[in-house]
Amino acid sequence: MPTAMGKREGYENRIELLQGTLDMLILQTLRWGPQHGYGIGQAIRAGSGEVLQVETGSLYPALHRLEKQGWVKSEWKASEHNQRAKYYQLTAPGKRQLTSEHSRWKQLSAAIVRLMNPGETEGEA
Amino acid sequence: MGWLFGRKQRDRELEQEIQAHLAMAARDRMAHGEEPQAAERAARREFGNRALIEETTREMWGWTALETLWQDARYALRGMRRSPGFTAVAILSLALGIGANTAIFSLVDTVLLRMLPVEDPGQLVELMFKAPHQDHFNLFSWKSYDHYRRSNHVFADVIAFGFEPFAVRGEGLEPARLRGLWASATYFPVLGVKAAAGRLFGPEDGAGGSPANVAVVSWELWKSRFHLDPGIMGRRIVVDDVPATIIGVAPRDFEGMEPGSRPDLWLPFAMEPMVHRRSNIGTDNLWLKLAARLKPGVSLEQARAEMSALFQWAIEEEIRTSGDGTIRNVKSEVEPAGGGFNRLRDKYGRPALALMALVALLLIIACTNVASVLVARGAARRREMALRVALGAGRFRLLRQGLTEALLLSMAAALIGVALAYFGTSVLVRIIAEDPGGVHLQAKPELAVLLFTAGVAVLTGLLFGLVPAWQASGSAPAASLRRQLFGKGLVVTQVAFSVVLLSAASLFVGHLADLARLDLGIRRDHVLLFVLDPSSGGYDNERLLRAYQDLLGRLEAIPGVRSATECGFYPLSGVGSMQPANVEGYQAAPGERRHLSRGWVAPKYFETFGVPLLMGRDFTFEDRGRPRVAIVNQTLVRYFFGNRNPLGKHIAFDGDPNPFEIVGVVGDTRSFEPLPRDPPLRFVYFNMIQLERNYSEFALRTTVDPASLEGEVRRMVRTLLKTVPVTEVRTLEEQVNRAIVPERIVAMLSGLFGGLGAALAALGLYGLLAYTVARRTSEIGVRMALGAARGDIMRMVLREAAAMVCGGLVAGVPIVYWSTRFAQSLIPGLSASGAFPAVSAAAMMLALALAAAYVPARRAIRVDPMEALRYE
Repeated sequence: MPTAMGKREGYENRIELLQGTLDMLILQTLRWGPQHGYGIGQAIRAGSGEVLQVETGSLYPALHRLEKQGWVKSEWKASEHNQRAKYYQLTAPGKRQLTSEHSRWKQLSAAIVRLMNPGETEGEA
Repeated sequence: MGWLFGRKQRDRELEQEIQAHLAMAARDRMAHGEEPQAAERAARREFGNRALIEETTREMWGWTALETLWQDARYALRGMRRSPGFTAVAILSLALGIGANTAIFSLVDTVLLRMLPVEDPGQLVELMFKAPHQDHFNLFSWKSYDHYRRSNHVFADVIAFGFEPFAVRGEGLEPARLRGLWASATYFPVLGVKAAAGRLFGPEDGAGGSPANVAVVSWELWKSRFHLDPGIMGRRIVVDDVPATIIGVAPRDFEGMEPGSRPDLWLPFAMEPMVHRRSNIGTDNLWLKLAARLKPGVSLEQARAEMSALFQWAIEEEIRTSGDGTIRNVKSEVEPAGGGFNRLRDKYGRPALALMALVALLLIIACTNVASVLVARGAARRREMALRVALGAGRFRLLRQGLTEALLLSMAAALIGVALAYFGTSVLVRIIAEDPGGVHLQAKPELAVLLFTAGVAVLTGLLFGLVPAWQASGSAPAASLRRQLFGKGLVVTQVAFSVVLLSAASLFVGHLADLARLDLGIRRDHVLLFVLDPSSGGYDNERLLRAYQDLLGRLEAIPGVRSATECGFYPLSGVGSMQPANVEGYQAAPGERRHLSRGWVAPKYFETFGVPLLMGRDFTFEDRGRPRVAIVNQTLVRYFFGNRNPLGKHIAFDGDPNPFEIVGVVGDTRSFEPLPRDPPLRFVYFNMIQLERNYSEFALRTTVDPASLEGEVRRMVRTLLKTVPVTEVRTLEEQVNRAIVPERIVAMLSGLFGGLGAALAALGLYGLLAYTVARRTSEIGVRMALGAARGDIMRMVLREAAAMVCGGLVAGVPIVYWSTRFAQSLIPGLSASGAFPAVSAAAMMLALALAAAYVPARRAIRVDPMEALRYE
């Protein structure tokens, strides 16, 4: 049954980043200062060497989720081209969250690396 | 509703945020040399499905519980506005159910549940005695009180008190008659109440040189007469010409052991000998009511056993002094009295329970009614529900939506219901206040009652909200059939319960009619009663006697008055006194009860009250100064004389050297209550003119509406006796009605509830049939196209209605039978013989149901076959 609900589920499946990874990337981006949604998307794309393409359908829900959780706060400001835009900014809990997510991510990626390269020893890595 | 505007604001901001995103993306593309329009298009394409992204983003905000509730409520309100008829029917039927339940529960709460505002009321018991086939009495002498108090081992202590009205005056206090209470020294300490101001009296007052003439006033009196002045402690008042000092104020709402008695002041026993020339202290005179507090750990059974033994002593004592052996059958009783000596409970407890059962039925009918309308409407809203499911509404959300709607309905109904309850309770209290028991019921819908109503409302909401909502959210095709069966089941239930209600109504109304037809020995129509209060008028006995005689003559001169008389008591309000006597020509057996009831009346008493004079003559004013005469009733003649002529015979009362000659015989009257259980007593009437006794109860037999003469009577009394106020004016009919207040209330309310229940059931039936006819329009069209006559169609619809009603009747009759038994066990003397109530109820229900079914049936035969088929 092609319901709205079905469509939405399909859309969410297209999120290519691991759950939580996008949040971490957004927080990481905001470490360099306040930025609007478009800017964040551009920064992630540029920072990853055009590898990571952030869908707006994931970016904006993520931003609003982070704001609701209190990890970022927002304010309306004029951009460099005098365009009024909503700027997101890292909060103190957001910084703590970033630290903990970062260390978790390091553990996770190290674990994945080990799994994917079973022959290699730790010393060699 | 800031949170709502907040949401709108956020919606706007999100839009602007995305707008800014698109603008910036387009600008970047233009910076790379794209055409402006192409750049914008590309930016939008790259952005994706904007509406969907907005929707997903909005979901991140989350809904606060309040917002969801508001949404549901708004949907519900919109739904209600769309079908105002349904909403009105649903809310009103529920409001009636809830209002009736709250009003009756208030009554039950006051009469049955409320405990006295004293320390640990659960330990209090009432001491009483009971003769076979009589009510129990709590009436003891000081000697018995003293005896029980000293000899028992089961009570922490015993308290005694006696009511007496006092003439009270004092500085800053207008002379008034107040409700007074003589209280034992144990009274306040045992009840464990604390003074609202000052202190309460105890064993120390009147002992060891401290003054005994102290008084405690009620909080109400303190407020109404002293305006809560804390300076009244130590103020002197004069009670029946004896000075006393106010020492304290009893707690607010404290009425002693008798709820509704509203005493104004309490005086200690130690003061009683100062007020009464012949003190009751230390005597056998019966003037006290007794209560006691159980010792911790003592059971009611132990207390009963102990009291039974102690009571035997008092009985033997009584037999020694009176020689009346019949009182050996009298037994002591000990009953829990945590709720006080509640005569209200005796009188109204059972009727209140019966009414509670009736209103519960009414509520069930109201609920099923709303449920069946909701089910029908749920069916009508199937498309809407299907659409909402298709648009992504979850089953849970739909259920919650349905529940919100139901709860909203029941809350609105509860609000209206509480208003109805306030009104209903105040009407009930007013009617009960007419009761000569003189009770002032403090029934007002209280917190407990409000909670009860809220509970009923919420339960009702759940009850009738869940089923239709659940069905509405289910999409199974079989649901339609189930729904119809369910709807029919509801109607059958309603009819069954309505029949029970109607038969109960018919039963109680019939009972009341029986009472109205009951031969009281008097004619209750066209009599006006009024009472004068000469206590502060400054008349001495002799002057008053002459003035009253004068007044009687003037009253008879009023146009419309046939006769005027005066008496010591009115019929149905008791007897003057009871005394043992010897009747000439009759030899009493040893131990035989020789007590005769006595009453003092003026000439024309029997004529005025319509008591037939069977033999001899009436009293006259000329009897004054002549040998003493008496008039007796039939029961006395039958007992003492059989078929012999009683005229000229004499009656001599014990301790009175002057016998009375019987000069007349009158018919029997009921003495206490206009109820069949009140048998006629052996009665002797005396001529109060001859005995120079003054009573101030007057009665007029009129040829016109008695109530219309009130003004004339008041004017007459004012011109003749300037300083004597008229205290009470009423008709004899009112007086009689006051004595059967519980029966009247039950009859009135059961009639009302029966009518309401039947009307609700008819409404439910109508709703269901209207719905089925609407659904079967095409079927009816086909039938008619195939040649069915309009009569056939009409019969088809009515047959369906009749089937449901008959189902309900079949289910209802056993309940009627059972509930009639139940009612008989609750209300003695209920003439519930025969099937009349059940049959009349069934007939009424059937007629009402067919009337309700007629409207949809007419709609069915008006179906135009072409129209119906084209619609398909």
